[in-house]
Amino acid sequence: MAQLLIVAIIGTWAALFAAWKLMPARSRLRLLLALDGWAAARPKLSAWRTRSLKPRIARAAGGGCDGCAAHDTAHRPR
Amino acid sequence: MDALVETRSLRVALVGVPNCGKTALFNRLTGSRQKVANYPGVTVERREGERIGDDGRVLRVLDLPGTYSLHPTTLDEAITRDVLLGRLAGVPAPELVVCVVDAVHLPIGLRLALEVKRLGLPMVLALNRMDVARRRGVGIRVEQLAAALGVPVVPTVAVRRGGADALIGILDPARWPQGAPVAAVGAQIGAAEAERLQHDMRALLAASGYSPPRDNPWFARIDALLLQPFAGLLALLAILFVMFQAVFSWAQAPMDWIEAGMAALGDLVATHMPPGPVADLLVQGVIGGAGTVLVFLPQIVILFFFILALEDSGYLPRAAYLLDRLMGFVGLSGRAFIPLLSSHACAIPGIMATRTIPNWRDRLTTIMIAPLMTCSARLPVYLLLIGALIPAHKVGPFNLQGLVMFILYAIGILSGVLVSFVVKQFGGARQYSPLMLELPDYQWPNAANLLLGLWERVKIFLSRVGGIILALMIVLWILSTWPAPPEGATGPAIQYSLAGRLGAMLEHVFAPLGFNWQISIALVPGLAAREVAVGALGTVYAMSAAGDDLAAQLQPVIAGSWSLATGLSLMAWYIFAPQCLSTLAVVKRETNSWRYPLIMAGYLFALAYLAAFITFRVASAWG
Repeated sequence: MAQLLIVAIIGTWAALFAAWKLMPARSRLRLLLALDGWAAARPKLSAWRTRSLKPRIARAAGGGCDGCAAHDTAHRPR
Repeated sequence: MDALVETRSLRVALVGVPNCGKTALFNRLTGSRQKVANYPGVTVERREGERIGDDGRVLRVLDLPGTYSLHPTTLDEAITRDVLLGRLAGVPAPELVVCVVDAVHLPIGLRLALEVKRLGLPMVLALNRMDVARRRGVGIRVEQLAAALGVPVVPTVAVRRGGADALIGILDPARWPQGAPVAAVGAQIGAAEAERLQHDMRALLAASGYSPPRDNPWFARIDALLLQPFAGLLALLAILFVMFQAVFSWAQAPMDWIEAGMAALGDLVATHMPPGPVADLLVQGVIGGAGTVLVFLPQIVILFFFILALEDSGYLPRAAYLLDRLMGFVGLSGRAFIPLLSSHACAIPGIMATRTIPNWRDRLTTIMIAPLMTCSARLPVYLLLIGALIPAHKVGPFNLQGLVMFILYAIGILSGVLVSFVVKQFGGARQYSPLMLELPDYQWPNAANLLLGLWERVKIFLSRVGGIILALMIVLWILSTWPAPPEGATGPAIQYSLAGRLGAMLEHVFAPLGFNWQISIALVPGLAAREVAVGALGTVYAMSAAGDDLAAQLQPVIAGSWSLATGLSLMAWYIFAPQCLSTLAVVKRETNSWRYPLIMAGYLFALAYLAAFITFRVASAWG
């Protein structure tokens, strides 16, 4: 029974990790921002928010390309 | 505290023409692990790093895409201009610009330096590759150049340890003011302004006593061969051919070691752990799944060794020049060569590298055919199938397996050419966009750059094996294990599991292609990333064998249970199938529309099904 529980935990972690990794960068950022909004209303989570969530949001924002000049629509036919 | 940090940091941007050694200097300053290449246009993405001085002061160094001018013709160049002008959202304007100039080709770099200086930002000129310049007899009086330009000028040798110490010394945050006004830069450079720049540049050259480098007679002789349209193409084909032969000939021994290591690890775990689901998960799911992909590491390392060595030697821009006319016939620009070559590593950087193509139609065509180039994720699949189904015979002096690999790569390229030709027929008149490339000097590949580049590739591969592939293998193992077979069941347990049932359903769809239920199951997690299918096959077959140690012996199992027609059909499927969600996501991002990724997925699936169907039928008919 204990072995089954361990496998279930590992399996759940693997499924969540795979879904996270396969998620488009923009969706990942949206999810992080939503999580940040939720955590902001809970003072107990403020340390985790500063230490872990904020840097993650900054990295996710930098990883996306939507804000950069490469999306200058002048280069595309209208 | 924030104010203290702010006064102790300095935002520095590195700007320079492509191939001036800017990225190598960035690595030297920050210790960042970034690929260094010497063909124009490699620095497509924004790269940022930090250097913390002995006094705690922080340099935030931004490596900007290479540009010849601040009047951009490509998206890359537009990014550089926008960062310098502080126009890019989320990226504040730099407080100091280090303009990196290749001392061997000083005039080209000085022209850009003059443009940057007119922005009004504090600036330092780094005269890079001074060692090569001295060897080739280039004369530059550094003090006079600094006086004439009105900014500090520092000689550097970015690829040598200590070669940037003088520059590091001058980048003292206390020495430079925080923030500075910038001038407006128009979208187009006027004739008068261009003339003025040229005049100023010549005056600077005269003031610095510049004498150009001596020509190297060997370079001219090599170029006479490699740039000749017919002989050059033959040379290119020969280089690619040798590369694929080496992938198979050199990798066998290390692959055997890894295979033996994985088998021993599986045995060790099975022996020392109490039997149960956790031990099964480790042996069948983790070692049997991810371990099957790990075996291909030596072949991937050898392939990238060749690609990086060709980059570093200065050959790749010549290949682009050579192919420009040929690519023009099928509606592509010569600029598409580097993105398409990058796509052989991974379609994602290849698609992002299309930002260097100024014409939208050319860019879109290149994006649409990039997934047809054989990316490294397909390698494990091809290597598995070739190793299992193609005998290691010699055909004359050649290895048959290497020959088949070469043909698979060639089919991918030819398919891209055909698709591009079709797009050209239906896409209307193409605007002519001339290819302008700076051909760098030939050089022996730098061992440190080569090792760094290989290490990067190994890290990427291992992180995928240890990350997404491992996670999906665990999920697949669970789906392949539950529910357990009913009382009195006689078939392999996996047939009664969720994955087995899914495979049985999909088998109806893929049966016309000769795919069995094991392949059909493996294609599902393989949708996430192509190489995952190999690990999935490892897991599925390990499960099918009900506990036998098949983890490290997938090739003999495939050789024994699949027909040649099925194997060839699966190879044909993988040439075309768009089984990479990340690629489709990047296409959406780059085109800012769902239309193009949907068109791409649709046409690639249709081609994959058709090619696999025809291959299976023809191969079956021939027995």
